[in-house]
Amino acid sequence: MLDAFSRSVVSADAKTAAVGAGDIAALRQYVAEGNKRLDAVNAITSNASCIVSDAVTGMICENTGLIQAGGNCYPNRRMAACLRDGEIVLRYISYALLAGDASVLDDRCLNGLKETYIALGVPTQSAARAVSIMKSSATAHIGETNTEANGGSKFRKMETTQGDCSALVAEAASYFDRVISAVS
Amino acid sequence: MKSVVTTVVTAADAAGRFPSQNDLEAVQGNIQRAAARLEAAEKLAAGLDAVTREAGDACFNKYPYLKQPGEAGENQTKVDKCYRDLGHYLRLINYCLVVGGTGPLDEWGIAGAREVYRTLGLPTGPYVEALTYTRDRACAPRDMSPQALNEFKSYLDYVINALS
Repeated sequence: MLDAFSRSVVSADAKTAAVGAGDIAALRQYVAEGNKRLDAVNAITSNASCIVSDAVTGMICENTGLIQAGGNCYPNRRMAACLRDGEIVLRYISYALLAGDASVLDDRCLNGLKETYIALGVPTQSAARAVSIMKSSATAHIGETNTEANGGSKFRKMETTQGDCSALVAEAASYFDRVISAVS
Repeated sequence: MKSVVTTVVTAADAAGRFPSQNDLEAVQGNIQRAAARLEAAEKLAAGLDAVTREAGDACFNKYPYLKQPGEAGENQTKVDKCYRDLGHYLRLINYCLVVGGTGPLDEWGIAGAREVYRTLGLPTGPYVEALTYTRDRACAPRDMSPQALNEFKSYLDYVINALS
């Protein structure tokens, strides 16, 4: 597993060179944005169960066949497995966001996930849809662009200092996209 | 690669939980110290060749017998390899400064070093001498800020202790 710092070390070692000024400037950026990043991770972890349950609910609302007899979310046992998987995916995304590198997500979560889903008969299209709903709500929590109209009774705004966190929103979105492309 | 962030993530993953407040605080503590580390890494990278040369010269000056026949530096090829190894150690220190832990030195420098040096019949004393010279030669306002120098010297001491 790598983070932003060890990623630059591993790529410098491949060239037998020291980590030079260019890479260090990028790492200084990580350090300068450090508090924002921690707030972003906090925005995901604090709202994790809401993000996951909303995503699974949304996925089912769009495709109610999932909870009818024979559907993949039909008995509670399979629904619970679905919620659990949503939480696991979100958890690894929060690790990747904290580390600033996707290697933990790739190695420990996505490696072989699609093959597992196919073997178990999980519809990967639905899984990808749930992840994409998680992406929308997680990025809204990080960027604080969620509105009462979208959030409804579960509307919540994180009480963090206002500022430009578009880079972090884009980074988080890229991790969700990584999951979507890995399963579909 | 071991660093504060990967350690925190590994622990959280083993417990199957999201990163907790404690984890975030640990990462933040690391980030607060990062400015000095990165400064030291940048300055070291910029002067890597010069520092390597000075350290190697210091060790061959102190132990001139190394260049006699049958010794570790008996011909130019072997001398060049000594300088190369010193450059490797300093490069690994640069990596450690970037990561904020001894992971790179442990994994790529120190693990197995003793066995290799024994097999090749190389003395580790001259390496210690060269790195000690670097440590004592570095000075605060001239080379880098005092806090950065502190970080740099702590990794030099780590290598010196491992080799001696």
